[in-house]
Amino acid sequence: MTTVPSPSVPAPVSSDRRRRRRHVLVGWSFILPNFLGFAALTLVPVVGTFVVAFTDWDSYSSPKWIGLANFRRMKDDDNFWTALQNTCWYAAGHIPLTLAASLGLAVLLNQKLRGVGLLRTAFFFPYVTSLVAVAVVWNMLLSPDVGPVNQLLRHLGWSHPPGWTTSTDWSLPALILTSVWRDMGYYMVLFLAGLQTIPAELYEAARVDGTGAWKRFWHVTLPGLRPTTFFVLIMLTISSFKVFDLVQVMTEGGPGRSSLVLSQLIFREGITHGRFGYSSAVSLALFVIVLAVTLVQFQFQRRSER
Amino acid sequence: MRKTTARVVPVALAATLFGAAACGSGGGSGTTSDGRTVVKIALWNYKTTPEFKALIDGFEAKYPKIDVQPVDILADDYPDKVTTMLAGGDKTDVLTMKNVTDYSRYATRGQLLPLTDYVGKLSDKASYAGLDNFDIDGKYYAMPYRQDFWVLYYNKALVGNADVSHLTWDQFDTLSKQLTKGSGSSKTYGTYLHTWRSVVQAIASAQTGGDLLGGDYSWMKDQYDIALDIQKAGATLPFGTAKSQKITYDSQFTTGKAAMVPMGTWWGAALLSEKAQGKNPVDWGMAPIPQVGTDGKVTTFGSPTAFAVNKKAKNAEAAEQFVEWASGPEGAAAVAKIGIVPSYHSDSVMNTFFGVAGMPNDALSKQAMQPSKVQLEMPVSDKSSDVDQILTEEHELVMTGEKSVDDGIKEMDHRVKTEVQ
Repeated sequence: MTTVPSPSVPAPVSSDRRRRRRHVLVGWSFILPNFLGFAALTLVPVVGTFVVAFTDWDSYSSPKWIGLANFRRMKDDDNFWTALQNTCWYAAGHIPLTLAASLGLAVLLNQKLRGVGLLRTAFFFPYVTSLVAVAVVWNMLLSPDVGPVNQLLRHLGWSHPPGWTTSTDWSLPALILTSVWRDMGYYMVLFLAGLQTIPAELYEAARVDGTGAWKRFWHVTLPGLRPTTFFVLIMLTISSFKVFDLVQVMTEGGPGRSSLVLSQLIFREGITHGRFGYSSAVSLALFVIVLAVTLVQFQFQRRSER
Repeated sequence: MRKTTARVVPVALAATLFGAAACGSGGGSGTTSDGRTVVKIALWNYKTTPEFKALIDGFEAKYPKIDVQPVDILADDYPDKVTTMLAGGDKTDVLTMKNVTDYSRYATRGQLLPLTDYVGKLSDKASYAGLDNFDIDGKYYAMPYRQDFWVLYYNKALVGNADVSHLTWDQFDTLSKQLTKGSGSSKTYGTYLHTWRSVVQAIASAQTGGDLLGGDYSWMKDQYDIALDIQKAGATLPFGTAKSQKITYDSQFTTGKAAMVPMGTWWGAALLSEKAQGKNPVDWGMAPIPQVGTDGKVTTFGSPTAFAVNKKAKNAEAAEQFVEWASGPEGAAAVAKIGIVPSYHSDSVMNTFFGVAGMPNDALSKQAMQPSKVQLEMPVSDKSSDVDQILTEEHELVMTGEKSVDDGIKEMDHRVKTEVQ
C-alpha cells in the first residue's frame, strides 16, 4: 500500500533520509483513518474484554475486580461445557465437510465445459444470500412433518426420518448441513483460484508418465493447492468456532441446549443477563481455544513444508 | 503543490468524518424552533403499534405547548437498546416499560424518576389495574397505561354451538379434539397452542399457585399432560412444526386453521386492524381462559405496560405530565378507542372499548374482559431471566417429545436449584 515509485534522480544522503521519513508519514496518513476506526471499535474493546473478564460488571455500576472467580464459575458451569462440546462437534462436522465439498466442486468446475460460468455462479449464490433467508428456508425444508427433505426420505423408505431442528440428536447435523451448503461456494472460488496457479506442464508430464486421474489429483493437484488449503482451513476453523448468526436464527440453541454454541452463550450471558464479566471470561476462553487450534495448524503446515 | 494536496486531502477528509461523527451524538436542544417543549419518548414499532400515536396525538391536542417526539426502536431489540441507551447517559425523556422485569432492573439501578408522590395523591388508585406490580418497597417509578391478560379467542363459525363460557382444561382438551376436522392441507385444528412456554407454564402457575421461581415445578405436570394430549391427538399444530416453520398464531387463526386460541388481549386490536384491511375474514369472539379449578372464578395471567420518566430526562416536568395523562382516564379512553385494554378501568372506558367498530361485544366477550384475578406472567426478581432461560429450554424438550414430562420437570428442578445463583 505504501510503495512509492523510486526517484529517478539519485538524491543527496541528507535529503534521502528526509524523503524516506516523508514517505512513511504519507503511508501512515493513508492508513490512519482506517486504523483509528479499527483501534476505537475493535482493538480497544478486545483488549478491554481481557480486563473485564476478571471483574463483575453489569455495564452500569463500576466493575468490581474479582480475580479468577469468573473462570472458577466457568469450570462448574454446565452451560459452558455443553456449549463448548456443541461448538467442537459443529467444527468437527463443518470444517472437513466444507473443505471436501468446496474442493470437489472446484476440481469439477475447473474443466472446460459449456456453461461452467453459470454453474460457478450458481454454487456461489448461497454465499451472497442473506443468512437469515438461508436459515429460514432451510428450517422449512427440514421441517419434520411437512418439509420436502423428510417427505423425500419417507418416499425412499425411511419410515422415521430425523426430526432435524426439533430433535436433540439432529439439530447440530441440520446446522452443519445448512452451513456447508452456504459456505462451499465461497471456498470453491478460493480453490478455483488456487487451481489456476498449478502449471499445466505438471499435468502433461504426469499424463505422459501414464498416471490415472486419481493419481494426478493426489500427486499434482493436492500438493499444488497446499497454500490455498492451508488458508481455507484456517478461515474455516475460525468461522466454525465463532458461529453465531446461523444458530441463532435456525434453532436459537435448541431444542433445549442441544445446539447451544459458545458465541451464543457469550451473547446470552452478556447482553441478555447483563453479566459482562462472565461473558468476557467465556470470550477469552473461546479466543484461547481458537488461537491454540490455529497455532497447531501453523505448526503442521511448517512441518509439512520442510 | 500537487504533493501537498495529496497529503492534505486524506487528513482533512478523515478530520471531517470524525467531526461529523462527534456532532451526530450531540442531541437536540429540548425545544422546537417555534418554542414548544420537546418530550422524547422511547417506544417500539411505531408504525404497527397504533396506541403510541393515539396517545401522542391525544396528549398534544390537550397540551399544544408540548411536542412529543417518538424514538422508534425495533420491538425485539427494545430492552437491549434501552439498557444500552441508559448506560450511555441518554436523555430521552419518557421510557416505555415493556415488561415489569425490565422495569424493576431500571428502577433498582436508579435510572428512573420516582412517581411515588403522584401515586400517593391519586384518589382513584384502585382503578389502575396492575399498578401494584410497580410497587418497589413502597415506591413507584412508572405508571401502567395498558394491562393485557390472557383470554380464549374463538372462531364463531368453527366452534358453533359448543359452550365455551366456563371451560375447564379437561373440557377444553375434549372440545379441541371434537373440533378437529379434515386432514392434509384442508385440516382444521381444534386449537393452536403457541410455542411460548407461558401457554403451559404461566397458566399452570396462575391457576395452581405454583411458584415459577421456586425450583419445584411438579405443579406443571397436569398442564403439560393436557397440552401433550392435545398435541398427540392432532388437535393442534405440532410444536416442532410450529417452531421450525416459525408459524405465527395470527396466521393459524385468521386463515381458519384453528378454532380456539388462548392468547393475550393485545391480539384483539391486531385482529380488528386486519379485519379493516380485509385480511381477516374470521368472525371471532373472546371467552374466559379455561380453568384448572371448578369454583367459577376466572384466574388468568398477564402483564402491564407502563411509562416511566428517565432520571436524566431533559424536560422531566413535561415528561411527567405525559406519563400522568397517558396512564389516567383520558389516556385510557384514547387507547380503548383503538381496541386496546387500558390499565385504568371505568365503566365509560369499557364502553368505549366495546364500542370500537368490529370489537365483539356479546355478553361472553364482556365476561372475558373481567377476570377475577390477573397474575403477573413472571414474578419480578433478579433471577427471572436465568430461570426463564432454563424453563424455556426444558419446555422445548418436553413439547418436542425429546423428554418425558417427569424428566423435564426433574431437570427444571435440578437446573434452577444448581445453576441460578
